[in-house]
Amino acid sequence: MANHEETPEEKPETATTEPREKATFGMPLIKGLANTLSHILRNEPNTIHYPAEKRTPFPGYRGEHRLKRDELGREKCVACFLCSTACPAHCIEIVAEEAPWGDREKRPRLFNIDMMRCIYCGMCEEACPCDAIELTPVYNIPSRSRGEKIYNKEKLLSL
Amino acid sequence: MSDTSNELISWNLNGEVVQNESGMTIMEAAKAHGIEIPCFCYHPGLSIAGNCRICMVESNRSPKPIISCSERIAEGLEIQTDSEKAVDARDSVMEFQLINHPLDCPVCDKAGECVLQDHSYEHGPDRSRFVEDKNIRHTKELGPTIDIWGNRCIVCTRCVRFCDEISGTSELCVVERGDRSVVDVFPGIPIDNAMAGNTVDICPVGALISTDFKYEARVWNMDRTTSVCGGCSRGCNVEVEALDGFVKRLMPRENLDVNDWWMCDHGRYGWRHLYADSRQVTAQTTEGSVLPAEASKALQQTLESSSSTGFLVDPFMTCEELHLVKQLADSMTGSRVAGWLPADGTEESFPGGFTISAAKYPNRKGVEEIFGADVFGSAASTLLNDIASGSVDTVVAFVGGHGFDGAGAEWNAALSSAKNRVVFTTQQGAWSEGAHLVLPATAPLEKEGVWINEDNRAQRVRSCRSLTDQNFPSELVILQEVQAHMELRSRSLSAAGVFRELSESSSAFEGHSHSSLGDHGTPLSQKPAAVGSEGGES
Repeated sequence: MANHEETPEEKPETATTEPREKATFGMPLIKGLANTLSHILRNEPNTIHYPAEKRTPFPGYRGEHRLKRDELGREKCVACFLCSTACPAHCIEIVAEEAPWGDREKRPRLFNIDMMRCIYCGMCEEACPCDAIELTPVYNIPSRSRGEKIYNKEKLLSL
Repeated sequence: MSDTSNELISWNLNGEVVQNESGMTIMEAAKAHGIEIPCFCYHPGLSIAGNCRICMVESNRSPKPIISCSERIAEGLEIQTDSEKAVDARDSVMEFQLINHPLDCPVCDKAGECVLQDHSYEHGPDRSRFVEDKNIRHTKELGPTIDIWGNRCIVCTRCVRFCDEISGTSELCVVERGDRSVVDVFPGIPIDNAMAGNTVDICPVGALISTDFKYEARVWNMDRTTSVCGGCSRGCNVEVEALDGFVKRLMPRENLDVNDWWMCDHGRYGWRHLYADSRQVTAQTTEGSVLPAEASKALQQTLESSSSTGFLVDPFMTCEELHLVKQLADSMTGSRVAGWLPADGTEESFPGGFTISAAKYPNRKGVEEIFGADVFGSAASTLLNDIASGSVDTVVAFVGGHGFDGAGAEWNAALSSAKNRVVFTTQQGAWSEGAHLVLPATAPLEKEGVWINEDNRAQRVRSCRSLTDQNFPSELVILQEVQAHMELRSRSLSAAGVFRELSESSSAFEGHSHSSLGDHGTPLSQKPAAVGSEGGES
C-alpha cells in the first residue's frame, strides 16, 4: 500500500464512466440467419431418431453400475465399504457377511444402489480396491416404479 | 510412580527450555508440552516394553536416537523430536513395520481407528522397497470372543502385557522368533477372562479382532455417544457406538477415577437386551394398545382414581426420573415409595486394580439420596405388606434394567397380586402381564440423566437412541406430561433442566449441573466451583 501511495499516477483509471460503444445489430443478425439458412439447405439433421437409432457413448461414459465377477463366477466385491464411503450421494448400502471361500474374509450380503439418488460421478469405481464395481456405458435405464430403481446385488451382478 | 519426587527438572525440548517433574519419561513430558510422539507398544496403563522403536527422538547424550517411551528426562537433556535424524529414524522404523504387514486395510475391521494406519500416514514413507514375499502367520481363534490375524501383528506385546499385568491371567504369549514371531495362546488354554475384550481395544493394529463385532460395521460410519455402563455399581465410562441407531459395540472410555482404560466383558457384550424379542415397545392396557401421545393421560387417570398409591422404583432409573417420581408422590396423599434391587452377582477383582462389583445396581446411591436410606429396606417391606393386605390401591412399578427376571421373584409375585398396577418395563414378563397399564421403559444406555455409582460419583449417562429410532417417549417425558396434566408443572424440561430442579431442591445435589459433571463425573460431595457466578444473570 505504501508503494501505491508514492506513485498515485500509476493507478489504473476506472472504465465505468466511459460511454458504451455504439452497438450495431444489423450485420450479426444477417450472419446468424445465413448460418441457419445454410443448415436448412444442407438437409443434414444434427439430432438422431433416438429410440430407433442409438448413439454410441464416448469412451469413459458413466452410466448404469454393475458388479463384476471373478474367473470362478463369484462376486469380486469384498464388502470393504470404500465405495459407500466415497459416494457423495450416499446411495450405496452394504451389509457384510463372512465369505464362504478361503481366499477372502468378507463378501456383501446386501449391496443396494439407489439409482435415483446416484449422480453418476464414478467415485465408487475409483475407490474400489478390487475393481469390483464399474459404471457401464448403458444410459437408457427406465423403470416403472421407484422400487425398481433400487438395484440389489443380484441385479447388479447380472448386468 | 510412587517414588517420584516433585522436583522440577529443566530440559530442552526442540530448542526450548521446559520444566517437568523428575521421573517422567520423555514421551510423557513432551505430551505435557503439547508434542505428541508416536507410539505402538507404549500404553499409559501398562508397563514399558520399548520394543516398537517408533518413538525414537534425537538426544544430545547419545550418538544414536533413543526411545522416548522408556528414557526419562534429566537435567540438561536436549531432545529433538523433529530433527532430520529423528524423522529419518521414524521413517525407517515405519518402513520396517510394514515389511510383513499385509495391505488388507479394506477388509480389516480396525481400519479407521488403526494406529499403524495413522502413523504410516503421518510418519511413514509413501512406498516400500520390499520386493520379497511377505511372511504368512496364523489366523485362528484365541478364545470364545477373540480371533487373531497373525499377519497383521506387529508384536508390540500390549495384549501380552495386559494379560500379565491387568487381568493377571497370562493366557497370551509371543511364539516363534524374529520376523515369524506372533501372539498366540498356550495349547488348550484359550483366552477366556472377564477382561479379554480390552486386548482388542489396545491392539494398535487389526491383529486381535472381537468376534462379536467382526464384519459388523466400518468404524468411521458409526455414531458415538459417551455414556456409562449399567452392568454393575462400578459405572465404567463407555462409548456406545451405533450404526443407523443400532448399537454395534461398547468401548471403554478413559476415566482414571473409575475404570482407568478398561471395562469388563459382561458390560462390553451386555447390550443385546436392547433388541430382545421380549422388549416392551408399546403401551398397553387390559383393553388394548395405547398411542404414545395418550399414554401419559392414561397414567394420570389411573393415578387420580387411586386412593392410595405405592411407587416401586428401580436402581436403574436416573436421578432425574427419580426426582419426578418424588414430586408426583409428594403431591398425592396416601402415597409411598419403595425400591427393589436386582440380585447380587459375584465380585471379580483383578491384579491391575480393576474390580467388577457384585452389586448390579448402577444408581442405588441416587435412589437412596433422593428417597432416603431405608427405601430398599423398611419402606420396601412395608410396601410388600401393604400390597398383601390390600391397603394399597394402585402400584406404579418401574421394572427397568437389562435383566429378564423383572423385579425379582418376591416383587413379581407381589405385583401380580396388586389390585391395580401400572408397570414401566423394559422386558415383558409375568410382572407386566395383565397389568392395568404397561408402559415401555428405557433400558440402560437409552437413558438421559445422572447415575451415582458405588463411590458416590455422579456421572452423566447419555442416550444412544437416535431420534428417528425413538418411537416412544421416555419416562422422563411421560412423567413430566403426567405432572403437566395434574397441573404440577407448567412446561416440560430436558434432563438437564430436571437436574437443575433437583439440585435446587436437594442439598445433596446442590451446586451440581449436567455441565459441571462433565464427561468424567464428579464425586457428589465435591461441589464444583461456581462457574460464571460473577458474570451475573443475562
